[in-house]
Amino acid sequence: MQDSAWGWLIITYLFLAGAGSGAFIAAVACDLLAPDWSKTLARAGSLVSGPLVVIGTLCLVLDLEAGFWQPWRQIYMVNNLRSMISWGFIILSIFIPIALVYAAALNEITFVGKLAQKYITIIEIIGSIFAVATATYTGVLIAVVNGVPFWNTPLMPVLFLASAISTGLAAAMIVAAIIDVNTIKTLSNFALGHVIFLSVEALVLMLFVFMSLTRSTEAAASAGMLISGMLSPYFWGLVVILGLVVPFILSVFEFLEYGQMPKSLVVGADILVLIGGMSIRALIVFSGTPPQII
Amino acid sequence: MPRYGIAIDSTKCVGCHSCRVACQNQNSLESNETFNWIKHRDRGRYPSYYKEFIPLQCNHCENAPCQRVCPTGATYTSKEGVVLVNPKTCVGCKYCMEACPYKMRIIDHRRGIVEKCRLCIELVRDGGTPACVTTCPTQVRIFGDLDDPKSAVSIFIAKTGAQPLRPDLGTIPKIFYKRS
Amino acid sequence: MNRSGISRRKFIIGSAVGGASLVASNYLNFDSWANSKSDSNDLKITPTLCDGCGNWCAINVYTRGDRIWKAEGIPIAGNNHGRICAKGHALLHEVYNKDRIKSPLKRTGPNKFQPISWEQVYREIGEKVHEIIGKDGPQSLFLLQYPEGNASLCSRFMNALGSPNVFSHASTCFLPRNIGWWITTGSAKPEHDLEHTRFAVFLGRNIAAGLRLRQLSDLSKAKDRGARFVAIDPRFSELASYTHQWVQIRPGTDLALMLALGNTLIEENLYQRDYIDKYTEGFDELAQKFKDYTPDWAEQKTGVPKAVIRKLAHDLAEYAPQSFVHRGYHGALGTQYKNSFQLVRAVACVNGLLGNFNQRGGMFDPPKVKLGKLDSQKFPKLPEMDGVMVDGSGDVDRYPITPVGLGLTHSIPELAIAGKLKAGFVYHNNPLRTCPNPARVIEGYRKLDLLVSFDYVLSETASLAHYILPESYYLERDDVVHTNHCYDSHQVAIRQAVIKPLYDTKPMVLILIELAKSLGIGDYFNFTLDEYNRAALAPLGVTLERLKREGVIDLGGKWEPGPPHFKTPSGKLEFVSSTLKDLNLPSAPELEDPLVTPDESDIRSFRLIHGKQAHHTHAKTINQEYLKEISVLNDMTRVWIHPDRAKALGIEDGDCMTISNNVGKGRARALLTQGIHRDCIFLPSSYGVYSKKLHTAFGYGISYNDFLPTYFEPVLGHCMSNEIIVRVEKTPA
Ligand SMILES: Nc1nc2c(c(=O)[nH]1)N[C@H]1C(S)=C(S)[C@@H](COP(=O)(O)OP(=O)(O)OC[C@H]3O[C@@H](n4cnc5c(=O)[nH]c(N)nc54)[C@H](O)[C@@H]3O)O[C@H]1N2
Ligand SMILES: Nc1nc2c(c(=O)[nH]1)N[C@H]1C(S)=C(S)[C@@H](COP(=O)(O)OP(=O)(O)OC[C@H]3O[C@@H](n4cnc5c(=O)[nH]c(N)nc54)[C@H](O)[C@@H]3O)O[C@H]1N2
Ligand code: SF4
Ligand code: SF4
Ligand code: SF4
Ligand code: SF4
Ligand code: SF4
Ligand SMILES: [Mo]
Repeated sequence: MQDSAWGWLIITYLFLAGAGSGAFIAAVACDLLAPDWSKTLARAGSLVSGPLVVIGTLCLVLDLEAGFWQPWRQIYMVNNLRSMISWGFIILSIFIPIALVYAAALNEITFVGKLAQKYITIIEIIGSIFAVATATYTGVLIAVVNGVPFWNTPLMPVLFLASAISTGLAAAMIVAAIIDVNTIKTLSNFALGHVIFLSVEALVLMLFVFMSLTRSTEAAASAGMLISGMLSPYFWGLVVILGLVVPFILSVFEFLEYGQMPKSLVVGADILVLIGGMSIRALIVFSGTPPQII
Repeated sequence: MPRYGIAIDSTKCVGCHSCRVACQNQNSLESNETFNWIKHRDRGRYPSYYKEFIPLQCNHCENAPCQRVCPTGATYTSKEGVVLVNPKTCVGCKYCMEACPYKMRIIDHRRGIVEKCRLCIELVRDGGTPACVTTCPTQVRIFGDLDDPKSAVSIFIAKTGAQPLRPDLGTIPKIFYKRS
Repeated sequence: MNRSGISRRKFIIGSAVGGASLVASNYLNFDSWANSKSDSNDLKITPTLCDGCGNWCAINVYTRGDRIWKAEGIPIAGNNHGRICAKGHALLHEVYNKDRIKSPLKRTGPNKFQPISWEQVYREIGEKVHEIIGKDGPQSLFLLQYPEGNASLCSRFMNALGSPNVFSHASTCFLPRNIGWWITTGSAKPEHDLEHTRFAVFLGRNIAAGLRLRQLSDLSKAKDRGARFVAIDPRFSELASYTHQWVQIRPGTDLALMLALGNTLIEENLYQRDYIDKYTEGFDELAQKFKDYTPDWAEQKTGVPKAVIRKLAHDLAEYAPQSFVHRGYHGALGTQYKNSFQLVRAVACVNGLLGNFNQRGGMFDPPKVKLGKLDSQKFPKLPEMDGVMVDGSGDVDRYPITPVGLGLTHSIPELAIAGKLKAGFVYHNNPLRTCPNPARVIEGYRKLDLLVSFDYVLSETASLAHYILPESYYLERDDVVHTNHCYDSHQVAIRQAVIKPLYDTKPMVLILIELAKSLGIGDYFNFTLDEYNRAALAPLGVTLERLKREGVIDLGGKWEPGPPHFKTPSGKLEFVSSTLKDLNLPSAPELEDPLVTPDESDIRSFRLIHGKQAHHTHAKTINQEYLKEISVLNDMTRVWIHPDRAKALGIEDGDCMTISNNVGKGRARALLTQGIHRDCIFLPSSYGVYSKKLHTAFGYGISYNDFLPTYFEPVLGHCMSNEIIVRVEKTPA
């Protein structure tokens, strides 16, 4: 009896796919809603989106036992449309090229980028749909798992989507800062995004964890591990305090003190959001408890 | 077509692990790979204390979550109702391992696939009996056709009211347990 | 699982460049696995006998090409009825163990060995033995073996050299059990008609771990028929989880319980009067002797409530003669307590009161097959051997009823220290690990001028030997014809090679024949194994070829119930033994306390008891990785302790404990369980390998022998292996 089959590679995959699709959404939002002063952020978001998802997908492939032995076996991965992995493969195969093309378009990379610029709106609309699909699907992937009652809840995709957007935004903001330090000032505008999505995420997380306490014995055991058990230091420390509360407070200040925050704090808040996003996925995977069968 | 299943009389299990190694040999597994497990539970307090041994293996669920989530269709149900993994198409994504509520699947690192109890299907198709059934010194397992009311396994289940593990999970297992 | 995962990943990285061919070959190999049937044309089945323990289960071994694959039990075989235990399956892999000895070795220093040729090893041993015989006489030679299989030839070898000193594991295993039954019923190892019994009591006998597959299989059939079983044990044994009732008893006090059962049967007139009149001797004296052993009295001694004792007696009587108290093996009735001999006698007498001997559902003297002997015209007969052994076995003044040829194995080191033994041959036995007080054993064996080991790995004992003559593993060798796996009918079986020897090793019989030449006793070994086997089979009307084909042959003559015959001096079941009376020993069973008891005023004082685990034999299988994995997975080296006693010592489940007494000291983790008597801790007997050359097992767990003083029980001389008091403490962090 093997307790958990999935480990860090899958966790990283869940995280990167989320952050990547979130970054796409952030980029589209910037490009559509606030074109002038947020150009850098849109470009940054589009630049990280594709690569993050690609790296995430590589993690997934690396985790496949047959991944390197017999890579051709992966063609079977879309055989069963009742399986979320099959759907994931389809969604990723569509989303990844779109994200890469989008990056090319926004950053005018090669003739592909130039060509794509003509269809930028279509790319943004279809891309956003697939970005949301990617982010949500990572949640559905584990939500449909009967083997772990804790995961078995419709709140899971919602949580994953909320987390994907905040981590995506954070990733985009960090890259934007790297591309052009001066944009940090303008980034403060997006601190509101963090405030909103971190709040949503916190709310969903709270609902998810506390409702688990009454859903089933196994779900309660898992939730217990997070709240007061073996994993509680990580849960409270990494997810709640470092990943939610601190960046939330920083973002509030960032928004209020428009442009006055030290640069390190602005980027720091984003890094914390990323740490929180990764941690929450790791903890959800590790706290999964199978049903008591004997 | 028969629909194979096993009845397990856990009141007869003495935890000798013969079935484990018989299975390992039958299926050419390494020492740390296994398709069946012997778990034990302490019950009660002295003088009514007792220890129960419970042999576990894949339940060959009729409504198998492992099969539902398998992206490649490598996990399939044979015509005899045996849940099997096709080693040629399995990619080793381990989704089935997460999905199995009984945690009855293992990774076969040598072949890069996920494996599980195969109900000794090759042996059975040749008219034999699964290795874990024949070797058991106390005849804990009874193998046979669940659709044949005259098979030893059906008679045993009817007589003792043996039940699957966690029927509430809705997986409809084909391994039945007599626990007391 | 992780281990191979990591190595696989490393492998991937390592072979990433030129990996195409590797990937291809891997693919090939998994394909062939997937269609494993396609290579079934080179599938071969060879019947043989398992050598995993003394049960000699008959098995069909499957090979694919020259590689061993799996085994199935042979259904007609008396002792296993088609079953194989975990060891039987796992030991198939043992041929491929990297720790195997690959050629004859000469020891050149501590744990240093040099391969030498068979010719040279025979020559050097020959010279050394001649020198020792010349100086100290042949009585200074001994042979120690696990006395089955090739035993008859080993004894012949020793006797041909002029030494009566053939030892076995008797004094650390079963001695009182055999002698007690033999004295009482004339049968040293009576069997049980378990399949048809209606009520059976297992006292200190755990057939579910000290395995006897046939008995387990019969037990299951009897359970289906509605029979009831009771396990009497200080701990909740594996068998207890099978039986309907577990009676927890204070260790070492079973004698009191049996006496009280006898008392109840007699006082309440529950015994089989007719049977006793016809077939037993000394009932009145027994009744007199048992008068005071009331259940009330026994409750004080044993901690078993008197109501339980009475109920046991009533149940036994109700179903008599289809009921019995099991004849025992090593636990309680074996070489464990000072009072074990009296206990066996008492158990035999209680069975006598039930009148179950040779009755359906009772006990019986198993049918014995008479094998033929070598033709004395062609092959010289050995001169008669003088009776007494160097350890006092068979000596009227020492151990008068301890038979010659079993020997007190744990006396060998003492005799070596005393200068009485100078040279020894050890076959299929490992005294350095299986005898009490290893430090003393090592000291003794070191004193020997010559130690020759026939082993297949460098066991503790082999590691100390001057020469090691590696025997081919049982799957690679032919042995003498066997009847040891018989149960209730006449059967004959054979062990034969399944594959060719992988290394430069030889079957024991061949080693003996060749070694005999260089020792000047070649005349007594002027035959081949086949000739020897054909002679053995001659009276049975079975050819060697047929036996090799079928593995086991049933010759009929199945045991049937009927009037009992007892091979005792009186021809009856002897409640009162004339033999014992003549020797001035208690002629009817009477109370005798154990040698030692834990100090009640010291919360750290416990008796240390031990027992088998089903997936290990003694301490010799833990070097097998399939079997070790089971121990690791289930954390099975832990020492059982009662939760209340542990609490008083501040010990929690899984904590490390230090166990010590004046013989030894060791550490083990605690298993807190309601299933153990407060007075004792229980140490599984499968661990504690200390030979550095057994790489899988080395250093894993500890052994009860590390705490057992060198005792000689006064009547029979056995080792009293549960007369151990230890101090238990929580190991400081
Ligand atoms: N620690 C410990 N000591 C015990 C016991 C215990 O359980 N644990 N049990 C007690 C009892 S009941 C008994 S019967 C005795 C048994 O005492 P032993 O007979 O000494 O016990 P084994 O451990 O079976 O030793 C077998 C030896 O034979 C070797 N061997 C195995 N296969 C072969 C083979 O094919 N050919 C040859 N030549 N050698 C082989 C093994 O490597 C090992 O060295 O021990 C007693 N002492
Ligand atoms: N798997 C396996 N099977 C074997 C062997 C093996 O090594 N492994 N060895 C074979 C050999 S050589 C032997 S001798 C037999 C041994 O077979 P058994 O004699 O059945 O084995 P043990 O485990 O030594 O002891 C049996 C029980 O006695 C209990 N006991 C200890 N002290 C007392 C006491 O004071 N009173 C009572 N009532 N019970 C007590 C122990 O808790 C244990 O459960 O097994 C044979 N079969
Ligand atoms: S072989 Fe039988 S008794 Fe032994 S562990 Fe397996 S099911 Fe239990
Ligand atoms: S027990 Fe698990 S592996 Fe077996 S069929 Fe059911 S879900 Fe699948
Ligand atoms: S590991 Fe293999 S059997 Fe399991 S879900 Fe993935 S492809 Fe299917
Ligand atoms: S049925 Fe066959 S594959 Fe399944 S556990 Fe038993 S021996 Fe192993
Ligand atoms: S009981 Fe097990 S180890 Fe002993 S002979 Fe039989 S199969 Fe071999
Ligand atoms: Mo023994």
